[in-house]
Amino acid sequence: MPRSSYPTSPMALNRGSSPTSSIFKKQKHSPSSPPTAASYLSALSQADARARNAQRGTPTSTPALSLSSSLTTSTEDTVLAEEDGGNSDGLAIPVGKPPNSEQLYTTVHTEFGHCYNEEYRHISQHPQGTPVPRHVEQDPPYYILFSTYISYLILIVLGHLRDFLGKRFRAQSYKHLTPHDGYAPLNSDFDSFYTRRLKKRMDECFLQPVTGVAGRTISLLDRYTPDCNQTQIILDTRTRALNVSSYNYLGFAQARGGCADAVEESMKRYGVTSCGSRLEGGSTDLHTLAESVVAKFVGMEAAVISSMGFATNSTFIPALVSKGCLIISDELNHSSIRFGARSSGAHVRMFKHNDMEALESLLREAISQGQPKTHRPWKKILLIVEGMYSMEGTMVDLPSVLMLKEKYKFYLFVDEAHSIGAIGPHGRGVCDYFGVDPRKVDVLMGTFTKSFGASGGYLSGNKALIDRLRIRGYSGAYTEAIAPPVLTQIIASMASIMSIIDDDGSAPGVIKLGLHPSSSSSTLHQVVDYPHPGPISQRALPHWLSLPLPLASGAEGLMRLRRLSFNSYYLHRGLDKLGFITYGHPSSPIVPLLLFNPAKMIMFHRMMKDRKTPIVIVVVAYPATPLVTSRVRFCVSASHTKEDIDSVLMACDEIGDVLDLKHGLSKGERWSIDEVCRRAVELVHIPDHEH
Amino acid sequence: MASASSPLDTVVLTIAQSLSAVERTFYKLPGSAIIERYVRSSHQNDPGRTFLELIIFFLVVRTLLQSRTRADSNNAKNFIEFTEKEIDELVEDWVPEPLSRPLDDVEAAELAAVPVVAGPNGPHPTLVNTGKPAINLASLNFTGLANNEHIKQRALEAMRKYGVGSCGPTGFYGNFDVHIQCEKDIAEFLDTESAILYWQGFSTISSVIPAFCKRGDIIVVDRAVTLSIQKGMEISRSTIRWYDHNDLHSLEEVLQSVEKERRKRKGPLTRRFIITEGIFERDGTMTDLPKLIELKQKYKYRLILDESFSFGSVGRTGRGLTELYNVKASKVDMLVGSCAIGLCATGGFCAGSKNVVEHQRINAPAYVFSASMPPLLAVSASEGINVLRDTPSLLTRLQDNIRAARALLDQVECISIPSHRASPIIHIYLRNTTYTDNLLHPSSAASMPSSKPSNPTSPIPRDAPVFDIEREERLLQEVVEEAMAQGVMITKAKRVRGLEISEARPSIRLAMSSALSKSDTEKAVHVLVKILKRKFR
Repeated sequence: MPRSSYPTSPMALNRGSSPTSSIFKKQKHSPSSPPTAASYLSALSQADARARNAQRGTPTSTPALSLSSSLTTSTEDTVLAEEDGGNSDGLAIPVGKPPNSEQLYTTVHTEFGHCYNEEYRHISQHPQGTPVPRHVEQDPPYYILFSTYISYLILIVLGHLRDFLGKRFRAQSYKHLTPHDGYAPLNSDFDSFYTRRLKKRMDECFLQPVTGVAGRTISLLDRYTPDCNQTQIILDTRTRALNVSSYNYLGFAQARGGCADAVEESMKRYGVTSCGSRLEGGSTDLHTLAESVVAKFVGMEAAVISSMGFATNSTFIPALVSKGCLIISDELNHSSIRFGARSSGAHVRMFKHNDMEALESLLREAISQGQPKTHRPWKKILLIVEGMYSMEGTMVDLPSVLMLKEKYKFYLFVDEAHSIGAIGPHGRGVCDYFGVDPRKVDVLMGTFTKSFGASGGYLSGNKALIDRLRIRGYSGAYTEAIAPPVLTQIIASMASIMSIIDDDGSAPGVIKLGLHPSSSSSTLHQVVDYPHPGPISQRALPHWLSLPLPLASGAEGLMRLRRLSFNSYYLHRGLDKLGFITYGHPSSPIVPLLLFNPAKMIMFHRMMKDRKTPIVIVVVAYPATPLVTSRVRFCVSASHTKEDIDSVLMACDEIGDVLDLKHGLSKGERWSIDEVCRRAVELVHIPDHEH
Repeated sequence: MASASSPLDTVVLTIAQSLSAVERTFYKLPGSAIIERYVRSSHQNDPGRTFLELIIFFLVVRTLLQSRTRADSNNAKNFIEFTEKEIDELVEDWVPEPLSRPLDDVEAAELAAVPVVAGPNGPHPTLVNTGKPAINLASLNFTGLANNEHIKQRALEAMRKYGVGSCGPTGFYGNFDVHIQCEKDIAEFLDTESAILYWQGFSTISSVIPAFCKRGDIIVVDRAVTLSIQKGMEISRSTIRWYDHNDLHSLEEVLQSVEKERRKRKGPLTRRFIITEGIFERDGTMTDLPKLIELKQKYKYRLILDESFSFGSVGRTGRGLTELYNVKASKVDMLVGSCAIGLCATGGFCAGSKNVVEHQRINAPAYVFSASMPPLLAVSASEGINVLRDTPSLLTRLQDNIRAARALLDQVECISIPSHRASPIIHIYLRNTTYTDNLLHPSSAASMPSSKPSNPTSPIPRDAPVFDIEREERLLQEVVEEAMAQGVMITKAKRVRGLEISEARPSIRLAMSSALSKSDTEKAVHVLVKILKRKFR
């Protein structure tokens, strides 16, 4: 593809009115097979009804679109965002290969990008029989490390100097840090030093107010600061930006489409709230039903749902272990796990991130030594690991952990907050990815925020355990139950990944793996079958829930999984080939790009946002990461198109040259950006161990 | 001499040669002269210093080489060396306890009896347990906002604009305009400078406390605070002093004793907090806010007030205790409330000055590390506030219902009600005359009222009430199940026994609602009264 066709280039500005666009519009008129036509017509009439309901004026679209026939109603509905017309940022109208007649727009392009090229798919699966690649941390050149330390040193020295002088000459603005009227200061100047002197400088990267759906693109409310980030003033204008920062792995953050329709129906039936805690009159039949759907999805006997992801760990871990027990925890585990472990009263030991030898030697020591001082044997040992680590993008070496589990008899708790839905050929998380029976794991925990466009979390395991947790975990007795609309979003999105079968067992067009007519089976990995929970029966779902055919058949769910995997691999390997230092597993939708110098964080953030196609990114620094390894964290989503990833790569390539970020590969080994974009499919399908 | 080449000489020679080689390379290094001069002069002045510096150097190297993840037990004296084979045997022998105990019959029966509503929850839900409609005195729907059509409509519109999930923490593009609006609405409603939203009612205060209270700070707290406050204090690792439940005299005594202690130790000024609840989750009693504010100002403490059950249920328009007592909300430093209970949405909030709020945006774990509230629920919280502000009659009806229920319950002799007369949650205790009189309880001597104050360092009061948890739980559960069979949905106050810092007395917890008519409320309470009277005559 020539460079000029990318949305960031000036040529792409009038993409909507360009001849290619009107050509693919015409292609949509060609006749198609009966079932597709029928569903297409129904989609049309729904879109018409929606358009009438919304009572919008003439859409402010480009001439080519408005000149088209009546069919464009649906196209406009799915292509354009509601409030801002125009395509000056290149985000509202799809670019790339035009779709053929069988392919329909069912999603809003700004929420979930249209990408019909079946080559841009990949199956996320661990190749059986190969060892799990170890995570290697690449080191930057010494001058980068040196300048990073110097930067922090300068920041710290300047900060202390300003504090010292400020307290003496501008006492008024330091009032909250000094004792006054007999009250001690609310936060000490030492504790808040990092916040005031380092984070404050880069406040423009955080707490950005947004509006609309946090899907493929996101609307930023523009803001500016007149006084060096002391106050932020929110303006009336908005900027639409390509969103590679929200946790929206499967692209279910949508305000329109089958799931949203289901949520609307449930809100009419169940209202907005569930009034009280699960054990004290806040339970509805929808809660029970959702828990069984979740259990079925993850392949466990039972599951319990909590209304907040953070609280799932912090309120249920204390119900699993107590005094006299040992928690072994990966050093990079999430704050909620630490919170829960700390309040459980159990002894906590940590091991080096993902290092199986370190884990084994720790286990041998812990079991042989027993409890400290008394040397009594531990009551039980609970190993807590994450399926995918949110800051590194690394994946747990589950096969090795399970081997250790057999020998050392500990209980295994896997936090799948980032991996459920995101990896595995069926989207069932790490167990699915490695082809392992999920019941070999004792407790599978996960959240609904990241992949399912909902909120809250679950814990699943065998029935006896979950029943115990219902009354022992303090989520049941003391915290509010999760709200019905959120539950419906969970049920609908999970069911669409599982695919629904009718009561008589016949599947309404269940699409078998790799059965897409246009998908070239040679490029896809061989799918290995293992005893896996298959489609869900219609009876197990609410009777009023009716998903449109693409969702109910599982075809769209499968498409989402494969697009996500393609995007993850492509961004990861593309960045590697361009010469950047990245961390993590290539199938992880979290792609950290190492920046090192603290000042580069703001620069990177700003340069990405100020592009013609603005891109919003997340930068993370100390204390979430070690001091030197400040990083950008991209979160790719199934809703991104290949062209979106192209434009991210292109932006990184340009900014990387300006900011001197390419330290991964030597100049000779690097690929040019054009080569990366052109050979994307090839790049994605290189087997893991050869890359 | 050279001919006598003993092996010793060769060794000495090699050492001398390599030493001189090291010396030569050292002098080649730039700046080596400075180091040499420094070492020479410092050694000349004070030979002991060289020795000290060497020790420090080795300590630094050792610290740097030490693994972060290795715990202390390796260095401890009682580390026992085992051979690999012994370890293998020990591993082989070790039998862990099961991860969880299966439920026993009582627990399983109780779990099965938990009311589950078929369809929408509200004043007259249909129960899955019985298959019949019931009058709801269990769910928290004080002002009936859960069934408000206007709120539902607005939430629906929000869903069509924002989708369901927010897909990220506020720091990273999860800070939606509706969250900002909702925070503004709460702050305006309460008339505070600012407010911050949390995504779960329970996690709100247990996150607010550790954001402010650190090791070495002093917390003075009521003995009967709810679990979320206990958890928050536990995480904060502050020094805790307890005062008797809802007894402001006891509070003053504790405040005085803390001050005396500080004077004696001549310690530095630390942050000091009073933490209590507006209406207590445990028993429905209410704090005397004006007196509390007076004490806090006199002794210069900051007040963290948990209004989870009083926000949206007392006061003319449901602003909570501050409206009821006509106290300015800004006098409470951190006013914590629940949007899940008071506004029938989800989550909670902390209102206070701008400094207080902004501090939490970086320091409160549940705010920082969790994805933000679904925008549609933030919209329904905002709309809930509008409804409360515009329709004070909701609160009047709620109070009428509470009065009607209390009038009926007051006639029953076998129960006692600790709850305040305006509290929308009514706790019912069994009067324990039936058995403590006959039973010579071992601790009955301790239960004699005494004039001495309780020990402020212990969460257990001096004359703790005595009750038989198992028996009361069982009896109350029978009452609950009988009432459910007769079409009245009620519940015990559910607790996780052994988890709280002191055990709460078993109780039935009624939740009043303005969505019920007065006659329905009376009808339902009457059913309960009849069951109670028959069972405990």
